[in-house]
Amino acid sequence: MKLVTLSKALEMAEHKLSSLEKRILIFAGGYGSGKTEVAVNYAAYLARLGHLPLTIVDLDIVNPYFRSREAAKPMIALGVRVVMPAGEHCSADLPIILPEVKGAIENQDERVILDVGGDDVGARVMSSMADAFHKDDYEMLFVLNANRPFTSDVKGCMKMKAEIEASCRLQFTGIVSNTHLIDETVKETVLDGMKLAREFSQESGLPLKFVSAKVKVFENIQPEEIDCAILPLERFMLKPWELESKSR
Amino acid sequence: MAKILMKGNEAIGEAAVRAGGLHYFAYPITPQSEVGEYLVKRLPEVGGVFVQAESEVAVGNMLFGAAASGKRVFTTSSSPGISLMQEAISYIAGAHLPAVFINIVRGGPGLGGILPAQSDYFQATKGGGHGDYRLLVLAPSTVQEAVDLVMLAFDLAHKYLNPVMVLGDGMIGQMMEAVEFPESIKETDDPMTMDWPATGCEGRDPRIIKSLYLDPQALEKNSFALADKYKKMKEEEVRYELYKVKDDCQVLLISYGTMARICQTVIDEMEEEGVSVGLLRPITLFPFPENEIREQAWKENIRAVLSVEMSTGQMVEDVDKAVQGRKPVEFYGRTGGIVPSPEEVKDYILKILGKK
Repeated sequence: MKLVTLSKALEMAEHKLSSLEKRILIFAGGYGSGKTEVAVNYAAYLARLGHLPLTIVDLDIVNPYFRSREAAKPMIALGVRVVMPAGEHCSADLPIILPEVKGAIENQDERVILDVGGDDVGARVMSSMADAFHKDDYEMLFVLNANRPFTSDVKGCMKMKAEIEASCRLQFTGIVSNTHLIDETVKETVLDGMKLAREFSQESGLPLKFVSAKVKVFENIQPEEIDCAILPLERFMLKPWELESKSR
Repeated sequence: MAKILMKGNEAIGEAAVRAGGLHYFAYPITPQSEVGEYLVKRLPEVGGVFVQAESEVAVGNMLFGAAASGKRVFTTSSSPGISLMQEAISYIAGAHLPAVFINIVRGGPGLGGILPAQSDYFQATKGGGHGDYRLLVLAPSTVQEAVDLVMLAFDLAHKYLNPVMVLGDGMIGQMMEAVEFPESIKETDDPMTMDWPATGCEGRDPRIIKSLYLDPQALEKNSFALADKYKKMKEEEVRYELYKVKDDCQVLLISYGTMARICQTVIDEMEEEGVSVGLLRPITLFPFPENEIREQAWKENIRAVLSVEMSTGQMVEDVDKAVQGRKPVEFYGRTGGIVPSPEEVKDYILKILGKK
């Protein structure tokens, strides 16, 4: 199958994604919803559009593997600053919060993407910095994967939302529909997930900001089937047996 | 049931529940702590129990006691934690009790690191603790297979009245994949219908469950009874999978767990370049698919057998034993949390074939 070039992916994204112009973007949500892949892709998207300086902060203190720091190399290549523990602490599972994090939040001259760990447990790290955020300056997005056990219905999503908000002392401002089954994702996976995201949006009052999925899956979806912005994903978080050339 | 996306550790927890494993004893350790985090929410929903012990030494001994009840009992841990349980595992084997141990292996020795490794192969397959005993060892390579093998582990532990270990590297615990489960929780046998557990001896003679035999004749008899079970396992429980093992294969790879998936990528890549390589993936590490490896390795087209591991060379000793010196046995491995890339495995194969 012919791979969609990245410029095509950008083209698909560009004309609809302009609604997220806040300086700080926080990606939070249920454990394993795909926050890291979305956060890294969004950083790549902004960087390619020239929105620099841009910093991505790996605030995941609950996962020992598959954290955004593993995409540090391509991020740095795109001109993005990556805030993550240095040296051997990079592969530790310690709750390290670097001073640069608060610095980035307060520095009005750069855009910041925060990749927060999953569930209320992962989001707790934010509460120590909650006072540094100005209401008009950030978006906090609930990354939703309807195929995860605790966010498979509206009730579960509402519970997750309340728990995370209580834990991090910040309110969500929008939803990202990121429903997938990794390699087994098909068109229906994405559309079914969007349906749940819409219902969750209605119940919570939070707007659905965008739908994300692999470029290849979007190729099979007609533009009129999705009534909001899309973020086509390229896989940054690869498993050791997945070859970059075959995972787009 | 529709497929859902789960992290290996969560899926392992759910698989144990579906298999009727409702008695869980554990102490947290990276990279498998999510099993406990999942089960602490899940077990109360199904009438199960999670006891977090004060250490892995305590976990092992809690399992010893709980296993004697005839219920399905299990623990999950990672390398250093499993080392701490070895004494109890030896007692459990000696007392002919069923228990499931799930080891999500990280780099060692000592405290090591938290990244994936396969360096507990010796410990898992050769006994681990003291005395003449073995564990039946199952090695999944996908999250779905982890689910299937965890469920099988409970059945086999009760079939043989012997501890069974599921050996997954850290990647198995940490990665996310789509999985499905059987619809309902398995109905397990009532311990009151079994002829060995400690169920209270009302109306019958007491049953003594122990591993202490001061009479050497009796102790020898117990050890040979264990040996008979391991012989039966070798006859009935060997499991493995072949991947692209064809008549023109030049190199036979032997690899298990997620390492085998890297080997599959290598095989696919090399096939496109016209070099035929095949894989035999042991699913049971004990009993080891010794005869099956020998049968494949001795075929005329095979020029060399290559054991690929996330260790400095452990399974390769069993591969060597299987091949009996009839073909060259090579080894390639990385360890300490470093996972070999498809490129470096491919380069090593080309070197063996004299093409690099």
